[in-house]
Amino acid sequence: MSYHYNKAFENPDYHLSETLEINRRRSPQENLFSYQAPYGASLPGSYGEHDGREQNYPLAIPVASMRQGSEYRGGLPRVNVLSRSPYGSFTDNLSFEPEPELAYNPPSTFHSPYTHSTSNRSEDDFIWRRDRRPHDEIFMTSSSVFETNPVWKEEETLVGNLASMSTNERIKAIQKMPETMKKKREIRNKVLKEITKKSRHRSTHLSCCTQCLQGIAVSFRRFGNSLSEYFHLLQLRYNTLKVIGAEFGTSVLSYFIFLKWLLTFNIFSLLINFSFITIPQFLAAEPNNLSFTGLELLTGAGYFQQTVLYYGFYTNATISKIKNGPSYNMQLAYIFTVGLYFVICFLILLFSIAKSFWRNFINPQAYSVNASKLLCTWDFNITNEKAVKLKQKNLSMQIKEDLTEVNWEVLSVSAKERVVCISINFASWVASLGTALAACAGVYFLSTNNLKLFVKGHRNDLESQAAMLVLPVVTSLLNAFIPFFYSWLGRLERFKTPGQHIYVTITRNIILKISILGILCYYWLGIVAASESQCWETLVGQDIYRLIVVDFIFCLLGSFFGEFLRRIIGTTVYVSLGLPEFDIGRNVLDLIYAQTLTWVGILFSPLLPVIQIIAFSIVFYVKKVSLMMNCQPPRKVWRTAQMTTSFIFLLFFPSFVGVLAVIGVTVWRLKPSEECGPFRGLSSMYAAVSEWIEILENYTASKWVVWIYHNLITSELFFFILSTLVLIVTYIYWQIIEGRKTMTKLLYKQISNEGKDKMFLLEQLRSLQRAKQTPSAPGGQGQAGQSSSYHPSRQPAQQVPDYPGRAFDRNQNASYNNEYPDAAGILRGTGFPPGLERAQRSSGPGMSEAVAIALRAREAAELEDQYDDTYPQP
Amino acid sequence: MGGSASLLPREALGEYQELTFLSKQEILLAYKRFSELLPKEERENACSARVPKSRILTLPELRANPFQHRICHVFSTSDDGDDSMSFEDFLDMLSVFSDSATSDIKSHYAFRIFDFDDDGTLDRKDLEKLVNCLTGQGEESRLSTAEMEQLIQNILEESDIDKDGTINLSEFQHVVSRSPDFASSFKIVL
Repeated sequence: MSYHYNKAFENPDYHLSETLEINRRRSPQENLFSYQAPYGASLPGSYGEHDGREQNYPLAIPVASMRQGSEYRGGLPRVNVLSRSPYGSFTDNLSFEPEPELAYNPPSTFHSPYTHSTSNRSEDDFIWRRDRRPHDEIFMTSSSVFETNPVWKEEETLVGNLASMSTNERIKAIQKMPETMKKKREIRNKVLKEITKKSRHRSTHLSCCTQCLQGIAVSFRRFGNSLSEYFHLLQLRYNTLKVIGAEFGTSVLSYFIFLKWLLTFNIFSLLINFSFITIPQFLAAEPNNLSFTGLELLTGAGYFQQTVLYYGFYTNATISKIKNGPSYNMQLAYIFTVGLYFVICFLILLFSIAKSFWRNFINPQAYSVNASKLLCTWDFNITNEKAVKLKQKNLSMQIKEDLTEVNWEVLSVSAKERVVCISINFASWVASLGTALAACAGVYFLSTNNLKLFVKGHRNDLESQAAMLVLPVVTSLLNAFIPFFYSWLGRLERFKTPGQHIYVTITRNIILKISILGILCYYWLGIVAASESQCWETLVGQDIYRLIVVDFIFCLLGSFFGEFLRRIIGTTVYVSLGLPEFDIGRNVLDLIYAQTLTWVGILFSPLLPVIQIIAFSIVFYVKKVSLMMNCQPPRKVWRTAQMTTSFIFLLFFPSFVGVLAVIGVTVWRLKPSEECGPFRGLSSMYAAVSEWIEILENYTASKWVVWIYHNLITSELFFFILSTLVLIVTYIYWQIIEGRKTMTKLLYKQISNEGKDKMFLLEQLRSLQRAKQTPSAPGGQGQAGQSSSYHPSRQPAQQVPDYPGRAFDRNQNASYNNEYPDAAGILRGTGFPPGLERAQRSSGPGMSEAVAIALRAREAAELEDQYDDTYPQP
Repeated sequence: MGGSASLLPREALGEYQELTFLSKQEILLAYKRFSELLPKEERENACSARVPKSRILTLPELRANPFQHRICHVFSTSDDGDDSMSFEDFLDMLSVFSDSATSDIKSHYAFRIFDFDDDGTLDRKDLEKLVNCLTGQGEESRLSTAEMEQLIQNILEESDIDKDGTINLSEFQHVVSRSPDFASSFKIVL
């Protein structure tokens, strides 16, 4: 019956909370006391071949003193309590002592309670815990030593296990041991010795081939090492990041890491576009006879129009330098490069989101706010003295605030206040959505106006160029100032938690930015593409170029005005304002906006990543300098990892998915311009691919490409089946998740119940000891260890109010007999003498066994109860 | 690397790479920084020398850290209990605090750093000391007794799963596993 529950412990997926596992599956002898051992989580699945160790493993015997412990061992052969202790001769548990003053032996015998234990979580994951202080242990290889001392034996097992691993795994396993270097080296040397011993048997006919392979592997590893060294040297910003982390902590650092990530992302896209689209185009380029004035850098028009920067300049011809040699079809190159680029982007984003989610949103509701605020809050990156002081002050402020908040929350909010609160919320949502709508309308109006300028023709005078800049400047102004309005709104509403405030503000900002971008895209695809301009793709490309450049300038201005001037004002005029804080949310959203623009523009202007690389590099240094000069570390504890996850998610969801939609419409639906670009003359960009397939049909060698195209890519049936499969798999996973959630809840309940048990039994034990100490002083321990004196008492279980006697009784009759025949036999044999009198006479060891059996019985009863509750029997 | 310091033997370097989470560059940098802590005449044999705690704490990475004494204590293998560090102890410390160390090993050592009385569990006294380290010793930032009491109560309620009044390693690692920021903040880079 209860095996159902036991399954969970074997489930590898439960490893998220494996530290809490309590293994019930083992036989009672092994697992009478499975609670603790201070530094060794008791974990299932230890080395199967080594039984002695396993039995010694979950020891935690309540003993009153060391002496009793050894007597106990002699008297009760059934229960193997032979502790393996890291301290050589002393073999007793350290954590289950009933009396605090006896809990820890004088330092002469115990260095520290950091015991060691071996656990094997997954196949290759060794955690070997042990006291760091060096013991006077010398590793003797004599087998007699191993037999007599379980520590040696365990060590041997460990070495054996390590020796059977592959080199890489072994190195990782040794790295993961919480050990001193000396210890690790000893283990490693032993392992190596073991390996050479083993290989000597086999090495006689070691073929030349394997030697060769090994040589190659070694040199390959060396090559990899040296490569990573050079790579390390190339990371110039390494130091910058360290300095930022030292002064501002991980939260601000996350902005810079995100920026760096985007930068590398753009470098990658530049490499792809440049090598597959631009280089071939250079070979076939026509001379550019437009003049360069300098203003083009800002507007992107004029001279740049006839360069590889824009779609319009690319040729639709097949490029072949050698006559009758291999040729390069520009149309196909263009469409495949862009397509491949987006597929790669999609995969990269998807995997980084998945990884980030997997790491950071393991179980958000179980996030224990108070505890982790203290236990995990200290940022060891911060090394600046002033920053440390500030951080400490902020932490203490926050702790105090939280404490008062907890007390305050108890007071219920009146209905009237709630109504006021909700209406303020509603009003501010209306206001923010209204502003976003107004901004969109403004941008739309301006852009249609702009179009008239273009269509009128290319007057290359200053006036029209300045007019071109109106749209991007207005857009950037809207993007820069409306967020201030939003944060002001956010201050009006009183949110319960700062996290809520941040999320609401970010949502509003995202809505604003995405709707502005959406309206621009509508304008580009719906109006510009339908206009009778010569080369609408180039116009769109230029528009995006201007938007990016102006946005970049505004970003620089923003750090000048928002941070530099703010600091001057904060330190001289209004001292109460203080230094500004670095607004991570707003800055990250700006980055996401810029990246979205780049993605939209890639089709129309393949070299846009160059502009973005330059812009991001400058932004990186400007922000860094501005941060160092002007800002102070953020006051709030910022849950960095979760915020980073949400930022990557935002980059993926509205931004990248929206871009994919825009690109899809452009490629499949829109008619390319007649006179320029690689797709001139086609009905849509995608037509290039279908024409190519038609040509391929004539060649027998490439029939498979045609087959794939017809049966997979253009076939609805295939996609139908594919999506059905995906849906089914998703559903199954969803169900599994639901099941696990229930399981987690049950296990939580179980742990807390067992905790209650433990407390209760400890209490009992203490009272018994007190009772014993008063009548017969130290002499009473003499009778310890006689098996007759152990009497499991049913009294304890009946005394607990929450555990009805019913459960206990039934458990004796039913499940106990089924599951633990040994223990049940013992119970029957001793015959349960009623009352506590005899139990009181029994001293430490006997009592501990009684406690153990009572515990087992309670667990079993508990399980059955739960089972009955959850799955009522018919 | 530095001209004044003797070079780390090649085989030792490889061994350290294998035994710690550090890269070659990081080990060399650590070696350089470590030998700078030693007096001139001892630099020749930096691998075997021990640096007293007071010198170790002059490192800018540790100087301001409120847990500096605990860190030294936990990583020192000195027999006299003076918390002095050898080069290998130093590497051990950097390895645990490095970027590539696993969260498991980080939380293990974090627990030991926070376990002020070295008794294997975080009890109320440990937590009180921990909170004092976090908030600093200044008059205005110290918590009052009642606040401290309440705070520790809250912590124990959330993380003491088996309700024995203390937080043991498993419970600590459980809390840490729910706090994804831990791995990135438990980091010291030279």
